[in-house]
Amino acid sequence: MTGIFDYCPRSIFLLTLLVSLLFTGNVLPAGNVIVETVVHPSVNTEHLSKNLLRSIFSMRLRTWRDGLPVRVFVLPDDAPLHSIFAKQKLNVFPYQLRSAWDRLVFSGTGQAPFVVYSEEEMRARIATTPGAIGYLSRTKIDDSVQIVHVDE
Amino acid sequence: MIVSKLFMLTNNNKLFAAVSLSSTGLILALSASAGYADEHKEMQDLNRLQVHGFLSQGYIKTDKNNVFGHSDGKGSMDFREIGLTASLRPLPKLQFSGQLLSRRAGKGSQSGIHIDFGFLDYNFINTPSSEFGVRLGRTKNPLGFYNDTRDVPFTRPSILLPQSIYFDRTRNLALASDGIQLYGESRADWGNITVQLGAAFPQVNDRDTKASIFRSAPLLGRLESEPSYIGRILYEQPDGRLRLAISGAQVNAGYDRGIDDPLSSGSIKFHPLILSAQYNTEHWSITSEYALRHFRLQNFGNTMPNQNFTGESFYLQGTYRFSPSWEAVIRYDLLFTDRKDRNGKKFAAMTNHQHPAHSRFARDLTVGLRWNITPAIMLSAEYHRVNGTAWLSTLDNPDFTNAEKNWNLFAVQASYRF
Repeated sequence: MTGIFDYCPRSIFLLTLLVSLLFTGNVLPAGNVIVETVVHPSVNTEHLSKNLLRSIFSMRLRTWRDGLPVRVFVLPDDAPLHSIFAKQKLNVFPYQLRSAWDRLVFSGTGQAPFVVYSEEEMRARIATTPGAIGYLSRTKIDDSVQIVHVDE
Repeated sequence: MIVSKLFMLTNNNKLFAAVSLSSTGLILALSASAGYADEHKEMQDLNRLQVHGFLSQGYIKTDKNNVFGHSDGKGSMDFREIGLTASLRPLPKLQFSGQLLSRRAGKGSQSGIHIDFGFLDYNFINTPSSEFGVRLGRTKNPLGFYNDTRDVPFTRPSILLPQSIYFDRTRNLALASDGIQLYGESRADWGNITVQLGAAFPQVNDRDTKASIFRSAPLLGRLESEPSYIGRILYEQPDGRLRLAISGAQVNAGYDRGIDDPLSSGSIKFHPLILSAQYNTEHWSITSEYALRHFRLQNFGNTMPNQNFTGESFYLQGTYRFSPSWEAVIRYDLLFTDRKDRNGKKFAAMTNHQHPAHSRFARDLTVGLRWNITPAIMLSAEYHRVNGTAWLSTLDNPDFTNAEKNWNLFAVQASYRF
């Protein structure tokens, strides 16, 4: 009847060892990627405050000033650019965004952002969706989208 | 089919809730028949229909006592959560949301599909600095940090939530209620304050709630929910580092006695008050919640003496994220059913030792590990060392007098989401 509980201390130790092995070398790619916030040209704004940007990406703000629905686009949680954007532009960590979205979705009190799977898809969707907002690394930005500067 | 189920689930005297619930259910059923429209970009942009879901299977093994099925011995696979969530936002101000849940967790939750929530949300004001709106229908009760999404494995810090506050055995009482909820938010440079206030009928007439309130006595009558009030005020720093909340409820229920019922038509009042705090850094999250739970039961006649006591709950929890995909959790969780009788001795004496003293407290030390294999798949494992049996389900442990005071629990769970 004692069963697995006899082994518990040992398995905890083994798991810890396994986990610590897995983390060696788990670093984000070099920090020289410059990420910019981009919007569909219909979003008639060139500056946003950091707090407003956070409200948008935490899915709290539903419309732009002129009533156009806000459509938020993000890369998957584990995309390096997503993490860089969250930390640099929003000052939050990806897990915080994920918990905020999950709380909204699974209590029915809000909606999740649209997930895209590449920067090319991000650019294409933002360029063709009125009210869209997302982010791109500077080298992927062209005239189809508009850069928004984030004020501190 | 979903609609007819809705009508079966709702009560005549709650017509108002029934109407909004069934309209939401109808819309969601229609939407669901269109398939997973969120795959179709045009559709997605047109009416913002979103469909999400989750699926989990757990395994629980205890060395003594039972949790979620017959876990003592070979262990129990009797822990499964399946949920389907849909929301539709035809206008920026208007959202319909619904979630169907099928949960199996021992004798207390036996499959079947339930409407976890289903409501209409109208957002009167939504500006950069403030928000105000109303929700009509069945909403999740805003209690503490975790109650709103307690059945979604990905939103929990561990497989089992801290039981001192998020009891699984009286979960339905705290889960959701049918009525109206007003909400508002103020956003400023110093932080966001979110307020939710609701007046609603809680869900009371389920086996596990009845069993934990009335213990062994078979019930001839029905528990009826009465108008109840619930609210939460949440403060969050703009960067989400510090989160503080205070939530409370006044849950009212009445007993409608049956024929030849030894019990009279008494009343039950339950007032939980929860203080919550969390601090988040890149690798660490420290979370703590404290609750006072005032419980009053009266006018049930001679066979069921009046009860009036305040329980106390507390936990301190640390989560460490080694990387985005691996995290560990450690928690100490304390529960006293009656804060004036923390060791349960008075209670044991009062019941002539039919109920052991350890059925009135529980101390649970938990360590757990979580592996997010992908953003959609998660594997978690945890170990609990428990002293006391206060949060054990009497349905899974019918022979409560022989429950063991010191016991261990091991759990693993695999979860998928979309």
